[in-house]
Amino acid sequence: MKETIQKKVFNYLLKNGIKNFVGVPDSTMKYFIDEGLKKNKIFITTREEEAIGIAVGMTLSQSNSLVFMQNAGFANSLSTITSLVQLYEIPMIFLLGWRGFLQNDAIEHTKIGKIQPKLLQALSLQSKILNEKNWKASCDWAIKSIKEKKLCVLILKRDFLD
Amino acid sequence: MIRKEAISLAVEQIGEQPIISANGFISRDLCEVCDKNSNFYMIGSMGLASSIGLGLALKNPKRRFFIFDGDGNILMNLGSLTTIGKLKPKNFIHIIFDNSIHESTGSQPTNSDVIDIKKIAAACNYSHVYTVSDKNNFLKTIHKIKKLKGPILILVKIQQNKQIKSERIKISPIKIKERFMKSI
Repeated sequence: MKETIQKKVFNYLLKNGIKNFVGVPDSTMKYFIDEGLKKNKIFITTREEEAIGIAVGMTLSQSNSLVFMQNAGFANSLSTITSLVQLYEIPMIFLLGWRGFLQNDAIEHTKIGKIQPKLLQALSLQSKILNEKNWKASCDWAIKSIKEKKLCVLILKRDFLD
Repeated sequence: MIRKEAISLAVEQIGEQPIISANGFISRDLCEVCDKNSNFYMIGSMGLASSIGLGLALKNPKRRFFIFDGDGNILMNLGSLTTIGKLKPKNFIHIIFDNSIHESTGSQPTNSDVIDIKKIAAACNYSHVYTVSDKNNFLKTIHKIKKLKGPILILVKIQQNKQIKSERIKISPIKIKERFMKSI
């Protein structure tokens, strides 16, 4: 996704009540994170599960949170999602970088990229894939979801190779 | 001193201030000793009590948060100590009950019999770190930290115990969450 849109996504979520952005970086969303760092709204953690834990503490304080991560980190977090976020019904937004989306992506991304949709489905997680046309509607959907006390997932496709 | 005794002693001093307790026997003991709305029992997600506590401490700077952790728990999320040490919340008090075993799963050993968790916390920028192994020193340390700024670690060396086993927590996770949120 283009730099300008990524920045717009960050600012739109911030303007609409998401106060905390916690996670582990992904180059797929580099500009989103850079915009947050510039505004001093980003917490970088050592692992994705740690990020989810911190976001849970913030959400318990009535402060809306988003956790950003690569899909590898999403896979690391399955038990935290089922035994903390879903068990206690803690609303938050996950922003997930879809590595392995392109057929010729790096080999370590291939398998997780392929099973990502099935993993989301197995966890009964509602998700939307952000693009340059639907990003605002998708962000609105995510904000509405957390108001309804749900966990929801926004996905950014990794549409480049490096 | 066994864990349940150490927890009893701590909660008497902590009163109505919020406690985030790690999964397994730490939460079970806390619930049996003194169930309160301001206790957040983390039933699953081993390792994350300190992270949940960090999120709370950052968002509620006027309240002090007590994290009841275990050696197995913190060793599973050691990176958390670096994030806490970097952000340095003044209202973060980390009490680790260390018996050097995973008691909840049948007393298998952890690494804390050889590795000193207090030294790790000190290296991670905690403001004050203590090790205690008897009731008298634990009580003195809790009194001493009342006026100190965090992050603070108290490593409480406890005896292994196979006789006293607290029951599973019967309060639903949703109820734990709702009453905790109202209390803070």
